[in-house]
Amino acid sequence: MKNTNVVACGVGGQGVLLATSILANTAMREGLDVLASEVHGMAQRGGSIVSHLRIGRELYSPLVTEGSADLILGFEPAEVLRALRFAKNRTWIVVNSRPIMPTTVSIGVSKYPAFEVIVKEYLRFSKFVVEVDAMKLALKAGSSLAQNIVMLGASAATGIYPMKNEALQSCIQELSPGKYLDVNLKAFEVGFHSVSSRKRM
Amino acid sequence: MSNIILGNPGEKRFLMGNEAIARGAIEAGVQVATTYPGTPSSEIADTLAEVVEKTGVYMEYSTNEIVAVETAAGASICGARAMVSMKHVGLNVASDALVTLAYVGVRGGFVLVCCDDPYCWSSQNEQDNRYYALLANIPCLEPSKPQEAKDMLLNAFQISEKLELPVMMRLVTRVSHIRAPVILGSLADKRKTEHVRNPKRFVMVPANARCRHLVLLEKMGQAKEISEQSKFNSMYGRGKFGVITGGASFNYAMEALNMLNMDASVLKLGFINPLPEKTISDFLRKHAPILVVEELEPFLELQVKAVAKDWAPKVKIHGVLEGFTPRHGELSTRIVAEALCRIKGKPLKDYRISKVSHAEELSPRRPPSLCPGCPHMASIYAIKVAGGPKAIYPTDIGCYTLAYQPPQSIGDIVICMGSSAGISCGMSVAVDNPIISIVGDSTFFHASIPGVINAVYNKHRFVYAVLDNLTTAMTNFQPHPGTGVTGIGEITKRILIEDIAEACGVEFVKVVDPFDLKSALSTVREAIKHDGPSVVVFRRICAVLEIEEKRRKGEEVPKYQVDREKCNNCMACIKLLGCPPLVASGGQVSIDEALCVGCGVCAQVCPLGAIIKVGDKKV
Repeated sequence: MKNTNVVACGVGGQGVLLATSILANTAMREGLDVLASEVHGMAQRGGSIVSHLRIGRELYSPLVTEGSADLILGFEPAEVLRALRFAKNRTWIVVNSRPIMPTTVSIGVSKYPAFEVIVKEYLRFSKFVVEVDAMKLALKAGSSLAQNIVMLGASAATGIYPMKNEALQSCIQELSPGKYLDVNLKAFEVGFHSVSSRKRM
Repeated sequence: MSNIILGNPGEKRFLMGNEAIARGAIEAGVQVATTYPGTPSSEIADTLAEVVEKTGVYMEYSTNEIVAVETAAGASICGARAMVSMKHVGLNVASDALVTLAYVGVRGGFVLVCCDDPYCWSSQNEQDNRYYALLANIPCLEPSKPQEAKDMLLNAFQISEKLELPVMMRLVTRVSHIRAPVILGSLADKRKTEHVRNPKRFVMVPANARCRHLVLLEKMGQAKEISEQSKFNSMYGRGKFGVITGGASFNYAMEALNMLNMDASVLKLGFINPLPEKTISDFLRKHAPILVVEELEPFLELQVKAVAKDWAPKVKIHGVLEGFTPRHGELSTRIVAEALCRIKGKPLKDYRISKVSHAEELSPRRPPSLCPGCPHMASIYAIKVAGGPKAIYPTDIGCYTLAYQPPQSIGDIVICMGSSAGISCGMSVAVDNPIISIVGDSTFFHASIPGVINAVYNKHRFVYAVLDNLTTAMTNFQPHPGTGVTGIGEITKRILIEDIAEACGVEFVKVVDPFDLKSALSTVREAIKHDGPSVVVFRRICAVLEIEEKRRKGEEVPKYQVDREKCNNCMACIKLLGCPPLVASGGQVSIDEALCVGCGVCAQVCPLGAIIKVGDKKV
């Protein structure tokens, strides 16, 4: 079996850790070897977050090597730019299209590129780009807080994970806090269908 | 979360390295666990704090790392198994206790778990604490993965009790904060405790210390025998070419060898002090050339070269010293692959591994920042307006350190926990500028009190602004002596910062609410005029905790918005306060309602009264 390398990126507070945790726990229960690397402490205060996840066998490094990601799960468009060094020419780039402006942009020390410019940059690396309006879909599922689970569902539709949807769903069921359970299950479904219903790219 | 480390032997859990250590502590029958929180070590004690009731472990957040070591040592000397955890720089604070503790030794197993932070992910330096094991002359183990971290911890307690020595375990961020499957083991019984009087052993006056130093040297001789037999020093792979590595570096080395499909024999060293000299010399006699793969300092390399000088003088040994791997930052599979290729004299591209391309320069900078509604922003506003551009602003270690960046741009020096007070003493002697020094509540208790006493005793003049948000926010909201709650949620006597300042002899001590900007500002101005050291405590609960509390109670959180008719886009709110929901796009200021937590401080800052509560007026 080939290893699956995932780089998840976004901004502190977007639920990147929960999303990768669901993937990892599901894989572990399916008897696969799993390694993940997280960011805690200072870097969580509204800054860039990158989380690595590797599924397969004979895994040593908890970090995905540059140029070897099978999937970049992007919770924020500009953050994906930072993660593109992990991409190869057939990496799936599944990205939440809603930007989050950093303060550096408000005070004029950085510029936020137009979304089209960002996507053009993705395409330099890989043509497997999937945009997801996670906010809209999360609201459809019942809460803006479920954007991370929408992204999880959307990425599952690429077929990149060596786990079945049912396994992921039962893990969501187990790891979701009680009052978000139904919302999260719905969020996974709408995320998945928003991508699986599109034409193959 | 709370039950993640509880479970039956044989169950498999997906644990962080730090959680595996916490589980290991329970399996080892640890009776006393102490810490001062610090990334990347915090989750060890935080995880234990959640299970104290179910496991009977005593756990405490000590005031600082040296007190944590002393508390654990006191318990151990009475026969209890004790564990103390801290981040790398914490050991600088604790080293005074540790080095002499090695002389007196311990009774119940004593393990110091120390987490280094290569690349300074959340630290002020990236020192390599393996050298502390050499300095203190104590056994040290270093794991590569969470499962191994747990296994090693159990072994570390056995070694500690066998040799009656403190044992150190060194982790790095990429072991503490990686997750992998871990199999739970069974729980040990707790040890019987009793105090045994033996002053010749435990009272380190010179005559006794000289004797105990010899005892330590003799025990470390035994430790070397244990290291030679240790299952944590092991061999992987095959081939003439040799790699010597350990800890997180082992993971990158194995991955790189697999990636390049390269044959090599790998000696993984998990027992890193004292090193197994015989094992290493055997390896050196059979393999050549050798690449030592390690992060940061040439700790293994220098010692391997010392062994080689006697046993295999002709073998070429490469490593940090010749720049095969860098002496700074984290390693990666790619860096190790490049080092391997350099030895083979064949470039990386010949292995059909593409070069790395980047697209980072297009991405706007997104440094970590203060949270929406953070009371520190209001405090800093008052401090900056009162102090003006002439004042010098020493700062300290905590969330407020993040305010050194624009737009707050406050902070002229930070070196270590509590340093703001001492630094200000020296500055006040050297220059005449007003000095307003910033420190947080937990940091104040940790290490700044001697600095405050020094300021009074030696007649230094500066304003000490203590930003009291009633928690240790940066490391995940642990309580501290000023909160009135212990680490395991028990109510205790609350120690007030202003009482301490007064007891230290400070004559100007005031407490303000940072959200009352007017009074905060006039108090800082008054403090600047005071002839002598002054303390202003800015007290308001951390915004994250306040919002959590409001949500739990179901209270409505108000939102603020910009009154378009009044706003002239002067940017005062963004430049002077810089709360993240305040955004400017196309020269126009607005408030991101999704982020706003309704503190209303920006409405006080706005010179035109153009920021109003949503619902107060139609905009």
